[in-house]
Amino acid sequence: MVFLQLFVNGLQLGAIYALTAVGFSLIFGSTKIFHVAHGSAFAISGYIYWWLASKLNVPWPVATLAAVVAAAAFGLFMERFIYRPIQRHEASFFTVFIAAFGVQLFIQNLIGTVAGRGMETVTTPLSRSIEVVDGLFIAPIAAISIAVAILVFTALSYFLGRTHIGIAMRALSENPDLVRVFGLDPGRVAQYAFAIGSAVVVPGAIFTAMTAGLNPAIGTHVMLVSLAATIVGGIGSVRGAACGGMLLGLAENLAYWKLDPQWSEAVTFIVLFAFIIFRPSGFFGSSTIAK
Amino acid sequence: MTTYIINLAILIGINAILAVTLNFILGYAGIFSLAHAIFFGIGAYTAAIAAMKFGADFAVATAAGMVISGVISLALALPALRVRGEYFVAASLGLQMLAVTVFSEWKSVTGGIGGLIGIPPARLFGFDVSEPVLFLGLTIACLAVILIIIRALVRSSFGRSLKAIRDDETAASALGKNVALLKTLAVMVSSSFAAVAGSLFTFYLSFINVESFVLEVSVQIIAMVIIGGTATLLGPVIGAVIVLLLPALLTYLPYLPPTEIGSIQQMIYGLAMVLLMIFRPSGLWGYGSDSQKRGEP
Amino acid sequence: MSGEILFQADNISKTFGGLKAVDNVSFALRAGIVTTLVGPNGAGKTTLFNAMTGHLVPDQGAVTFLGKSILGLPRWKVARLGIGRTFQDLKLFSHMTVLENVTTATESGSWLWQTGGRASKAARIERIERALAATQLQRRRDTRAVDLSYAERKFLSIARIMASGARLWLLDEPASGLDRSSYDRFLTVLRNEVTSGVTICIIEHNLDIVQSISDRIAFLDQGKLLAEGDPKTILSDPALAAIYFGERA
Repeated sequence: MVFLQLFVNGLQLGAIYALTAVGFSLIFGSTKIFHVAHGSAFAISGYIYWWLASKLNVPWPVATLAAVVAAAAFGLFMERFIYRPIQRHEASFFTVFIAAFGVQLFIQNLIGTVAGRGMETVTTPLSRSIEVVDGLFIAPIAAISIAVAILVFTALSYFLGRTHIGIAMRALSENPDLVRVFGLDPGRVAQYAFAIGSAVVVPGAIFTAMTAGLNPAIGTHVMLVSLAATIVGGIGSVRGAACGGMLLGLAENLAYWKLDPQWSEAVTFIVLFAFIIFRPSGFFGSSTIAK
Repeated sequence: MTTYIINLAILIGINAILAVTLNFILGYAGIFSLAHAIFFGIGAYTAAIAAMKFGADFAVATAAGMVISGVISLALALPALRVRGEYFVAASLGLQMLAVTVFSEWKSVTGGIGGLIGIPPARLFGFDVSEPVLFLGLTIACLAVILIIIRALVRSSFGRSLKAIRDDETAASALGKNVALLKTLAVMVSSSFAAVAGSLFTFYLSFINVESFVLEVSVQIIAMVIIGGTATLLGPVIGAVIVLLLPALLTYLPYLPPTEIGSIQQMIYGLAMVLLMIFRPSGLWGYGSDSQKRGEP
Repeated sequence: MSGEILFQADNISKTFGGLKAVDNVSFALRAGIVTTLVGPNGAGKTTLFNAMTGHLVPDQGAVTFLGKSILGLPRWKVARLGIGRTFQDLKLFSHMTVLENVTTATESGSWLWQTGGRASKAARIERIERALAATQLQRRRDTRAVDLSYAERKFLSIARIMASGARLWLLDEPASGLDRSSYDRFLTVLRNEVTSGVTICIIEHNLDIVQSISDRIAFLDQGKLLAEGDPKTILSDPALAAIYFGERA
């Protein structure tokens, strides 16, 4: 029964990781920018939701909307004011990475200074678990987070497969000129990628606020997992990132079955390492052709 | 007052070694490691154990640290460098997190969260070098030796190969360079020399624990390298000076609440990194911004 | 020496996501001969080079150099066997000087020092100076690659491959965009190299170069090798000309 409980918890966590990883994969896949500040989108939207819903007692739909706007705005800000100026001259991996890292560092500490360094949660009846079967406790939030994740993925799949902009996003990484054929501007498409990729983390951030809680360092943790999930799933595959996120969420929880809690983060790394050694292309990635 | 300055100088020296060794892979080879603090830690713990359990003097303890650090860096480098650069970043970040857990949990070796205490004073070839001024001399000597070695490496064919890899990995391999092997060697060199800093740190404090080797420390070393500049040998040393003097400077600003100084420090690093990357990225290579001349039809 | 088959490709194919970039191509490169690969854009010429040098692994087919298979070998091993290559976008080591670019081309060992002792070192220095002299870059030796003029950058790319000591040169549009006098100079450099024993295979659009330097021409279109033979025959074929100039949709 413990196993089943951990499995359910793992699905719940996996849903959150999957959403965040998909956002990162979408951005990296279409713009080739290693957006390590992605965790900050998570942190910002989570804290905004908490502040509005918990501290100011704003109704949750409004708070959610605000969180989405905040996340998307952050993504757009990064694209327009940080990455684009850099790409105008020396756009090496180095400069992009360090800049994103600097932003992430700045925001993490800003949140710590403004909102405090403790764990903050949003209390909600949804997080109260019900004993479904003897020894198995599931809170409504678990089902909701998984359902929302599935909804978001379905919507995203449709978007990427059927709409002009979605297809252009997939084309952007292969061939920017192809995007112009669609009558779209690559810069515009990049903005969409950042806005959508960042907004997608919001459900995960809100659910985290309701369950495990937020702290300023949550961005780093989420970033590590997104990175790992993207690699495990296969660079360039959004579907892979979702599966990778799910797998890591499950692994992290199932680890409790046999290992002490302090090792749960280590499990993420072990899974990542295993994939890098045995299957670098991940689940669905294209085989890594010699560059 | 002089004791304070000497102690600060020792810390700067130790951090300068960390910055210089990180720059060897970051600035000269273009390899991103977020795990540099871990090799600092491995050197520190190894030296501590060598001194406490085997009565090793500074030289032996340091050598032991260098070997262990080099071997463990292989474990990171070999799988991660076979594929894309982004993988190494991810793997190094993961190693950083994993190693911190190992440091905290492996009580029999690292003393767990409590750390190791009672490390004997530093001795070198029979002489006691633990007295502050002598120890400062030792630190500076180590820094100087490392700088000389790194300078020689950078100017050698190995150094040229690393720079070639940094500038264009594809072209480097098309010229016959075994990129994976070269990068692995670079990582091993960088990590073993970082262990020297660890050994110095151990003998300096006589006490070490995991708090000194967490992600924030790796980040701080990166900040030193970026702020000081990656293109020159001494840039990272300057970066270490600036970054370590920053907290002291901040305490003099009247309107900053003391509890927030740590955060504000990090925000300044973050801001510095972003602004430098936007406005003076090629300045970090030590030269003017001439990328415009690259125009090709 | 002339006539010995240096490089052989047999039935090489490579598909990318449904698109056959290289379709059952077979040809041989003989020692001392200059072969030009021509064809419209997107014909698969660069992909072919990639397959020949280990940048890509062909889906099928055999690739041999000096009689031995090089299929599946990593790029650096292929290079050390004596196959050198330049790139359309040059891929110079931008932050290194001209001298460093050329010097590093002579250093393919991975250890902290180069093996061979003093004699080997003298030989390397001689190769470096020869490459710099041939490309007239001696006076620019301390200039960073990123600060060179367009023509100088093209010549540096050649100086690098020259210094590497490769027997077979695969050049990808090496002279594109050069002004008249520069590419006359360029052709002279290539001709001199061929005289001293280098085998060259060039991807080129510039028909002047194709005519003045080729011993053989291979015509590619849509991944297929349509024709291979001496320049006169190929260049006077009206059907090929039509394809080349895009008269077919």
